[in-house]
Amino acid sequence: MTKASYIARETGNNLLRNISLTVASMVTVAVSLSLVGSALLLRQGVQNATARWEGGIEFIVFIEPDATADQKQAIADSLDASPAVASFTFVNQEAAYDEFVELFQRSPEMIDAIDPEDLPSSYRVVPVDPDAGGIEALGSTFDTAPGVYRVVFAFDTVQQVQKLSRVLSIGVLVVAGVLLFAAGLLILNTIRMAMFARRREIEVMKLVGATNWFIRIPYMLEGLVQGIVGAIIAVGSVVVLNNFFESRLSGEEADAFAILQGFAVSNSEVMGTSMFVLGVGMVVGAIGSGIAVSRYLDV
Amino acid sequence: MIKLENVTKSYKGDVVALRAANADIAKGEFVFLVGASGSGKSTFIRLLNKEEVPDQGHIFVAGKDIGELSGWKVPYLRRNIGCVFQDFKLLTNKTVADNVGFALEVIGRPKHVVRTQVPAILELVGLSNKMGRYPHELSGGEQQRVSIARAFVNRPLILLADEPTGNLDPTTSVGIMRLLDRINRTGTTVVMATHDRGIVDTMRRRVIELDRGNIIRDQSRGVYE
Repeated sequence: MTKASYIARETGNNLLRNISLTVASMVTVAVSLSLVGSALLLRQGVQNATARWEGGIEFIVFIEPDATADQKQAIADSLDASPAVASFTFVNQEAAYDEFVELFQRSPEMIDAIDPEDLPSSYRVVPVDPDAGGIEALGSTFDTAPGVYRVVFAFDTVQQVQKLSRVLSIGVLVVAGVLLFAAGLLILNTIRMAMFARRREIEVMKLVGATNWFIRIPYMLEGLVQGIVGAIIAVGSVVVLNNFFESRLSGEEADAFAILQGFAVSNSEVMGTSMFVLGVGMVVGAIGSGIAVSRYLDV
Repeated sequence: MIKLENVTKSYKGDVVALRAANADIAKGEFVFLVGASGSGKSTFIRLLNKEEVPDQGHIFVAGKDIGELSGWKVPYLRRNIGCVFQDFKLLTNKTVADNVGFALEVIGRPKHVVRTQVPAILELVGLSNKMGRYPHELSGGEQQRVSIARAFVNRPLILLADEPTGNLDPTTSVGIMRLLDRINRTGTTVVMATHDRGIVDTMRRRVIELDRGNIIRDQSRGVYE
């Protein structure tokens, strides 16, 4: 019992004694882990968004507005007959107009300028094989069919978004890694300073026979606390950021962000990321103080 | 209680601090280590609580070869050895009572032991009325009493003193020697390095004289020269 209260007191004193360095370490941990958390959630969001596409990676065959009923029927028949097509739906001009109105409801002048008959009707196609090359080959066969305006592949967009997210999250994670390294060094130096400030006490402790772990533990804990507190701040800021993003997605401005709807992440994903960030904070704190204690506390 | 067998210790290759030293100190003895500065007195003392490790030879404390002691057991060796220094090594931000209590606290002694042992030992060294003072408010002699109290509060088998009167005037030194004598009479083995001719000649205890790392005299009831 004496031990626990002693260790708690010493750790607290050390943290307060060196408050400026302690804050510097915590902030560095917080910033770097915020980046880690954001990058992971972004990646998760992109995965969620593209998962919707995976439900039916589609290409869209737009029909010329003045295409004849026979031409439309011919396209539908060939879609029906193709073994590579799993299913398809026909979106007529009215439905396309509804979508258009939804998308541009904040720009009434656009809606006024467009009538349903100006918009192409389309076939939205779910292929059997999600392989990109196959879809492209399949889609191209309709490109030249009579009455087809053009074929648009959703896959291109998905691929671009995925690529962007990959590049972005790798970049952010690299920066975060460098910052985490700096945070580890800062913690190491904070602990080293704390030990230097208390070198006489440490000397006396060794002389009267305090065990190595008894001397070390308050310093180890000091680093651990810095890592954990930094991580908690990071988790807080990532959660706040995510909630803000989420409220923009589902609030009254939701439709302005309709294209981003798919990027929302679930609470359990946020929780998982938070746990990971906390774990990384702990590890960085433990490594920083561990190195400081083993290198500069010669017991 | 303490035994040195052919102990050699040198620093950075050529400076030999102790050369093939042999000594056997029984339980309850009081031994003076004398010799010029650099003769190896401090090394002798630092070897006994494993602050230094000999290059050759064996050192036995309480029957155990401390060379064979693994690192994590060294603290337990040191709990049996009290240390007193010329510069006291008191913690300036702690009161007299806290300085002494600290020594018990950091080896995990329970609070009630600290509460009873600290006043008792301060009574023994004659500082019961100064428990709440800070080291800088005390005279040199009083500070050394605090450091002796800290070294002895855990009732060690051995008390090592490295020039404990080196910073004190002769009158104050006599008081400190009386205290060390009293501690010795409780059965504690005392090894004291000193330059103080007066003290050695008055006390007439065993004297081990060192000269450039060699033990050149080991005499019971000896004098300084």
